[in-house]
Order: sequence, then C-alpha cells, then structure tokens
Amino acid sequence: MNTAIWLIRREFWENRAIWLIPAVFGGLLILASLFGGYRVLGAVDLTTVRSVVQAGALDGMILIAVTFFVVMSIYSTWYLLDCLHADRKDRSILFWKSMPISDTATVLCKLGTALIVIPLVYFALADLTTLLMAFIISVRASSYIDSSLWRGGLWLQIQALWLYLIVTAAIWFLPVAGWLLVVSAWARRAVMLWSILPPLALLIAERVFLGSHVIAGQLAARLGGYFSHALQYDPGAANWVTTEIGHDTINTPVSVLRFLNADGFFSSPETWIGAAVGVALIVGAIQLRMRRTEI
Amino acid sequence: MPALIEAQDLTKRYGPHVALDRANFSVQAGRIVGLIGPNGAGKTTALRAILGLTAYDGRLKVLDREPFRERAELMRDTCFIADVAVLPAWLRVDQAVDFVAGVHPRFRRDRASAFLAKTQITGKRRMRELSKGLKTQVHLALTMAIDAKLLVLDEPTLGLDILARRAFYDALVNDYMDETRTILITTHQVEEVENLLTDVLFIDRGRIVLDSSLDDIATRYAAVAVAADRIEAARAEKPFYERPMLGKVVLYFESPDRDRLAGFGEMHTLSVADLFVAKLSGGVA
Repeated sequence: MNTAIWLIRREFWENRAIWLIPAVFGGLLILASLFGGYRVLGAVDLTTVRSVVQAGALDGMILIAVTFFVVMSIYSTWYLLDCLHADRKDRSILFWKSMPISDTATVLCKLGTALIVIPLVYFALADLTTLLMAFIISVRASSYIDSSLWRGGLWLQIQALWLYLIVTAAIWFLPVAGWLLVVSAWARRAVMLWSILPPLALLIAERVFLGSHVIAGQLAARLGGYFSHALQYDPGAANWVTTEIGHDTINTPVSVLRFLNADGFFSSPETWIGAAVGVALIVGAIQLRMRRTEI
Repeated sequence: MPALIEAQDLTKRYGPHVALDRANFSVQAGRIVGLIGPNGAGKTTALRAILGLTAYDGRLKVLDREPFRERAELMRDTCFIADVAVLPAWLRVDQAVDFVAGVHPRFRRDRASAFLAKTQITGKRRMRELSKGLKTQVHLALTMAIDAKLLVLDEPTLGLDILARRAFYDALVNDYMDETRTILITTHQVEEVENLLTDVLFIDRGRIVLDSSLDDIATRYAAVAVAADRIEAARAEKPFYERPMLGKVVLYFESPDRDRLAGFGEMHTLSVADLFVAKLSGGVA
C-alpha cells in the first residue's frame, strides 16, 4: 500500500500536466467569470432577464463539465500510451527496475492513475471551478438572481453522479486502457500510430476478405456506447419539478440519480465481457513489461 | 558457504542469435568479480539475467532466488547501476531520495544525505540540469545508501571523463566495499578495474572461457620474453599465446615449469589485460 502511494506520487512528479491542465483551465474560467462582460439581452422585464441568466449559467455548467471530460479523456489516453514507453525511451526503466517493486504493482498503479486518480483530480478541480464561478456570478448578478437557485441536495446528487461516472467509465473503458498499456509496453516508437494501426488493419482486412464489419461494430460500440449503457434518459414529466420564481418557471429534475442506469450497466454482458478482455490485455501488458526493458 | 550467484547452462537466445550459450559460473560472497568480454560477448545479457530483467533458459539462482520470477524480492538485497545517467530528466534530487526511502526497506537516508553533502548537488536540482558526472554521483549516493548484499555494475563509467571515473571507483572502494558485500562489475576497460578485482570471469561468444581469482592468475600463468634465436626451443614448452615485442617474442604459459622456463629469458606475471587479450585472440597468434 505504501509502495502504491509512492508510485502514484511519482506519477504526479513526472506528469505535472495531470493537475496543471485542469488547474489552468479552471483558473481561466474563474478569471472570465470575474472580469468577463455580461449583457442583459435587451430585456426590460426583470423576470425574463433572470431566466436568460439562469439558462446561460446552466448551459455554461454543462459546457464546462463536457469540456473537462473531453480534455481528461484525451489526456488519459495520451498518459496510458506514454506511461510504459517513456522510461524505456530514456532508459530510466533501469533505475525503476532496481527498486524492490514488482512489474505488476507498477502497471496497476499506472492504470489506476489513468482510470481513477486523473478523473478524481479533474472532478475535484471542476467542482472547485464551478462552485467559485457560481459564487462569483451570483454576486455580480445578484440583482437578477437570488439564492433560490441553490439546491444543496441536487449539488450532492451531482457529486454522486460524478463518482458513479468515474467508476463505470473505469470498468467500461478497461479494454481500451488495457490495449493502450500493451502498446505502451511493447512499441519501440510511434506509440500513437501503433495504438490505431492494428485495429484499423483488422477492421479493413475483415471488410475486404469477409465482407463483414463485426470488428468495426464492436469498436464503435465500445468507444461510443458508454453513455447509453451507464445512463438512461427519463422523459417522464413526473420526474421533473417545476419551480416558479415570479412569472418564471424552471424545470429541474427531482433527482439526477434517476438518470443513472446502474442496474442496466452492471447486469449488461457487454460490461463484463469488455472487462474480461481488459483484464487479459492488462495481464499481457505486465508480461511485456517484465520482458521489455529497453527499446 | 553456498555461492551468491550460481548459473548452470544459462542460455539466452534472441531469435537465431545466441547471446548466452550454456554459460556456467558462480560468484562467492565477499568478492569483487569482473565480468570481462569484448563487445557483444554476452556480458550485458548475463547481467540482465542475474538482475531479473530478462527471461532465460537454464538454471540461475541469485541469493537463492530465481531472478526473473522474483525480481522485486531480489531487489531488496541487490542493487545495480546499469550504465550511468539513467535517472530520468524530470526527477529532482530530493524526490529521488524520498522515493527510494519510501519504497526500499534497506535504504539509509542519513547515509545518502551524507554522501550528497560532500558534493555540490542541492536537493532542488533536476537531473536534466546535472552533468553526467554529477548524475552518477546522485545514483551512487542512492545505491550506496542501500544495505545490499550484492551490487551489480554494468559499464558504470561509460561516457565519464577520467576524473569522474576515478572518483567513482574511489567511492566504491572506500565508502562501500566491506566483507559483507559482493560486487559484480562489467567493463571493457580492463585496466581501470584490474587492481580492484578479486576474481575475473572472461566471457566470449556467450560462453565463460575463464573463471579464476587474481591470486590464481599470478601463480598459474607466466610470460617469458625470449630472444629470437631461442624461440624454437621455447615453443617446445607449449605456450598458449605469443606476441612479438622489441625484437623478442613474449610467450605465455599456463601452469609452467618455472625452473625450466627461467633459462629462456626474463619471466613476469600476466596482467588481467594481457591474459584477456591472449585468451580471446584464440590460440597462438
């Protein structure tokens, strides 16, 4: 356990971008909310103004969450491709391997960093950013909006939603992460290319020789199917609560937890078949790590 | 006392290329052993096998462990510096010390700090800012602060200037070596380590061609400088190597009859470098 903490700390030393990217991004957003201009869109009626501000704030929050998520996905992908390759390239693997740490511990800590630690860092910094922004905007626009917008219960639910997304995404994307680790432990150079070419070659070969596209379908389902497995859309009007503020109405979900599809996700065979493939690939990456010392 | 390293029929193939060809050797505790061979002879492969960095065929026991299967456990009692300057560029000196102190049960932080205090290196420096010589000093400070039974060095001074090389070996002998330690070192600069070693292993084309202590070399081998007119008579004593030198011919003998040879000319002992050249040039030159 102690060793695992040191291994993860070491990842933070090497990859300062883990927290620098979301910190800089969050900092820019906070600066924008501090000094950015805002327009009252020609409205005279105070209630209309309020709804415009509210809609903008909500869209903004979603936009921020999505942006954090996209940046995180790109960074984690790059991190996984680099993590077993960089120390072979600069030969520092000879130093790390002189420590009493098994290759299994090394690979699992890097995997855990990519799938759990990095998302938690982004989650924490995104939280901090949105809370600070909400506070700043509500102070600056205090004449339009009031504290009736703040729903503590909903905020806590969103925290739970985030944690649910981190756990389910880690399971869902395990085969992708496993493949990236295999490439990182194996390739001599051009890890990015090696991560894409073999699946692409298989996909094309299948199409040319068999005329089918099973591999393409599986890849698309894995890369694009996460949200449809982990979440569900619940359109029932009964699930929405309407708040009246003056002449304005705001629709908010009674509970965002209704969007979670935990039962469906954890009982889906796709989830566990994927996880099994992921585990096999990770075992392969560990074996490669034991054997491949230098480039 | 059982051997610290015991290799039987140690073999390693890379495709059709045989890097180690049924090599047999053992290393006893408390010795400083030089693994010496030309480039591509299998030195580094042998060390990689001993350190658990590569899979192999045959039997290999290091400190009673199988290196490849039990590398993490083996590294509690073994440390190695493979080449200089493999500490990563982004690592800070204080981070390196913290990390090793955190993960290594035998690391003595006070010893590393004392060693570093003697240098000009401060904790906040990153490896990329340090010269090759200074990086080696950091690596040595980390390695020597570990209470290990076996220290393995693979071409430790490659790329260092003469001052840094001398400092490296001085630190090794004065600050590190005692009767509880064993050192295995590879180099192709034989002269540099010759007066350090207690034993040598010569390796050539994946096989061990000589396994001897330095004391044995002094008693077992002799060289005689013979004048040209007596060369045929001397050759009858079966030298295993000869080379011309300043109008005479120097003949190398194994297990010589010293009384008979003394009559042919001046006799002297063989240095490791002489013996290395003779053994690896293959027979009479």
